[in-house]
Amino acid sequence: MSLKTEPLVVNIGPQHPSTHGVFRLRVTLDGERIIDAEMIVGYLHRSIEKLAEERTWTQNIPFTDRMDYLAAMTGNLAYCSAVEKLAGIEVPERAQYLRVIFAELQRIASHAMANGTFINDCGAWQTPLMHMFREREKILDLFEMTCGARLTLNYMRIGGVAFDIPDEFMPALEELMDELPDRIAEYEDLLLDNEILLMRGRDVGVLPAEMAINASISGPMLRGSGVAWDIRKADPYAVYDRFEFDIPVGHNGDSFDRFLVRMEEVRQSVRIIRQAMGQLPPGPFCATVPLNVRPPAGEVYSRIESPKGELGYYLVSDGGPTPYRYKVRPPSLINLSALKQMMIGTSISDAVVTLGSIDINVGEIDR
Amino acid sequence: MIIVTRNLLHAVLLLILSFVGIAGVFITLSADFVAVVQVLVYAGAIAVLMIFAVMLTPASGRRNEGNILQLPALVLSALLIAGVSYIVVQTDWREAARGPFQTTAADIGDALVQPFALPFEIASVLLVVALIGAIVLVRED
Amino acid sequence: MLASWYDFRDFGNAVGRLVEALRDAGASDHIIYPVTALIGCLGVLVFVGGATLINIWLERRVIGRMQSRLGPNRYGPFGLLQPVADAIKLIQKEALTPRAADAIVFTIAPVVIFVPAILAFAVFPWGKEMVLADLNVGVLYLLALGSTSAIIVFMAGYASNNKYALLGSMRVVAMLISYEVPSVLAILGVTTFAGSMSLRDIVEFQRTHWVFLLFLQPLALLIFLIGSTVELNRSPSDIAEAESEIIAGYHIEYSGMKFGMFYAVELVNSLGVSGIIAALFLGGWWTFGLEKFVPGWMLFIGKMYAVYFLFIWFRGTLPRFRIDQLMAFAWKFLLPLAIVNFFAAALEVLIWREYEISAGIVLPIFAVVNFALAGALIAGWGRVMFQQFQRFPRRARLVSGIEVPELPYPAAPHPATEPVA
Repeated sequence: MSLKTEPLVVNIGPQHPSTHGVFRLRVTLDGERIIDAEMIVGYLHRSIEKLAEERTWTQNIPFTDRMDYLAAMTGNLAYCSAVEKLAGIEVPERAQYLRVIFAELQRIASHAMANGTFINDCGAWQTPLMHMFREREKILDLFEMTCGARLTLNYMRIGGVAFDIPDEFMPALEELMDELPDRIAEYEDLLLDNEILLMRGRDVGVLPAEMAINASISGPMLRGSGVAWDIRKADPYAVYDRFEFDIPVGHNGDSFDRFLVRMEEVRQSVRIIRQAMGQLPPGPFCATVPLNVRPPAGEVYSRIESPKGELGYYLVSDGGPTPYRYKVRPPSLINLSALKQMMIGTSISDAVVTLGSIDINVGEIDR
Repeated sequence: MIIVTRNLLHAVLLLILSFVGIAGVFITLSADFVAVVQVLVYAGAIAVLMIFAVMLTPASGRRNEGNILQLPALVLSALLIAGVSYIVVQTDWREAARGPFQTTAADIGDALVQPFALPFEIASVLLVVALIGAIVLVRED
Repeated sequence: MLASWYDFRDFGNAVGRLVEALRDAGASDHIIYPVTALIGCLGVLVFVGGATLINIWLERRVIGRMQSRLGPNRYGPFGLLQPVADAIKLIQKEALTPRAADAIVFTIAPVVIFVPAILAFAVFPWGKEMVLADLNVGVLYLLALGSTSAIIVFMAGYASNNKYALLGSMRVVAMLISYEVPSVLAILGVTTFAGSMSLRDIVEFQRTHWVFLLFLQPLALLIFLIGSTVELNRSPSDIAEAESEIIAGYHIEYSGMKFGMFYAVELVNSLGVSGIIAALFLGGWWTFGLEKFVPGWMLFIGKMYAVYFLFIWFRGTLPRFRIDQLMAFAWKFLLPLAIVNFFAAALEVLIWREYEISAGIVLPIFAVVNFALAGALIAGWGRVMFQQFQRFPRRARLVSGIEVPELPYPAAPHPATEPVA
């Protein structure tokens, strides 16, 4: 017995609490089951790529903060290392270590936000998010201590970093590193055995490894699907080849696996920061680079492992004071490309959870 | 109102209102158990059933202008109102003289398991059959 | 023997004296009955109104503490005037009616939804003599009120003419119908023990046998508690409102005080259900002799708020079910438990009545048996239900190097370009 029913077209977003900004999703529903989905992006388009062609190489650094505003440090790092690669600038050791420390701190902060909002999307009314904000807050304090800003940091420079760390930074970092493993253990105790969370996350939004690779998905999403791929290991930048850490991978490729991977990555980041703290050499924190740096004509693609995946910069220089072409490979946008496949056939509640587990950032998608 | 309105959903909502009114009638007849069951079953469950029926009706959103049954229904309900009014006028309303209300719940319970046990059991068998039938109908295989 | 009128340990005394005074003055029953009923209604309404304001503050503060933040603390001492400020703000706001909405139903719904919420307070046993309406079908009456709220929520959702509201109201209707069954069966166990459906008699039963029904019917309490979170639309079953999915469900289109009505009704309902649990399972106004020193209504309100705190706690900690999971939970998990519980209760009462064993001996045994039964059933079912999650370990697998599976070549096309079947 089958009834002919009329499909219902619902707009999720651009004003919706679970779209993490102004992402819009137009889904066609049969009851509560999704039979078609269309992603509409561009509500936060600020034309950063074109604007960047009018600014000098150094002036472009603040734009990178405003792409993935939850992970400004890694945005800075990706751009600066691309320019350095293009101009052939040698970065001092100390700056490299500081970059690693700050990038990993940023990863922890971003994952805290991602996991908090994921559980929020599962319906826990703000509580996990608020608790994870506690750790993020401490990291932002560290950022503020060093560079004065909390969100849009603009800390890294071509050839190094803007400021050396203040004296009180190391004790505070030490304290935070002692505290974080306990916090992660606490969250794992509270969350990993919660049946409701398991019911909502397991087997929801399954992304098979093959599809993940074909869709060039990267970051925790790819690792959640069971592919151990991490640019910090595959193509080490900065000084990542000097540290020991593991790549966490998921078992099933579902939303809960992505959550697990992010949890474990925080622990690995703590491990990296501890090693970097021990090895931090003295010396200059920035190479002497002219403010108006002019890389020789040529092109470069440089990539790093941002909290959301492979963040790549493709830069073309014609030898002038501004980039000739400035192209970003935003992990959020490319990770989204499999969303439709993951959503079809599931219910609207699952769609929200799946979207939450991808950890998108609309600032980065639309640029 | 139920029969005058052109909107199907309004009709259902007004029908629910009249169910609640019937519960009130039961209370004045000092049948409190039946009154509460009336609300529970009719206003609670049957109403939801009817709402689902309305949702599945293609014409629920339209105006239903060409309904020819309206006039007969009006005549019928006018006759009904006349009949009820006649009874109301004829009834002896000195209720208080007959003493306090009897509680009915326990008596109904006794009646269901002693003299009317067989009909009661037959009704429950019928419900089980309906339940299984519904499951068989909607199974996807 | 009536106490003096100023004996506020039980407001029933004062009303009783008033009835006597009126009767002495020669008033007939036609006057006495409406007057006392009006006084009682006024009392209940004042309590409900005041409690709602307190509840708004309480809920926000407690959730705030659970989320390691402060909660409202600006207006008045400890932010106590925050609800007043909220109400003033809501009244000032424009109450929009969408053009495509069914204006009549849309306007009526937030008003009508208050009716069952407040009616529930009529049958509560506030004290020994403090019962506004001692219905002898009190429990059934409460269940009937609960079932009507589905229609009203549906009215709100359908009249809004909004897709999210429609989804929300369909969810409510489906949910309420499913959860009524286990809730009613759970309550049946309680009424079987008490031998009455009047809330006053149930409290009386607990008083004469010196036991809370919580100890005799732990499983029923649990099932009813879960069922009532569904009926109240509160976390973990707030799928009808589901802020992160369908935004606010059935009241998405409401603004201003119309929205405020839904918000307030949610709190009134929560308190109402807390009151039902306090009366049925926690002895109502009776508390092991403590009611001799503290007025019974204070104890009752205290118990009510204890249960209410539990609801706030749920909301502060638990994620939300998906609708199909919630339904499966009702039919596959709660319903069998409720039936087993009712069967056990009926059997026990039969043994007790048939062999005329004294309550002092038999009730402790029943309590132990029922607790063991509840524990065994929950543990057993829980293990079965949790089995499906044991396929994968709790933690992510750690890999020390790059590890990429071999893929067939040429690779499949990018999934976004593939047509979806």
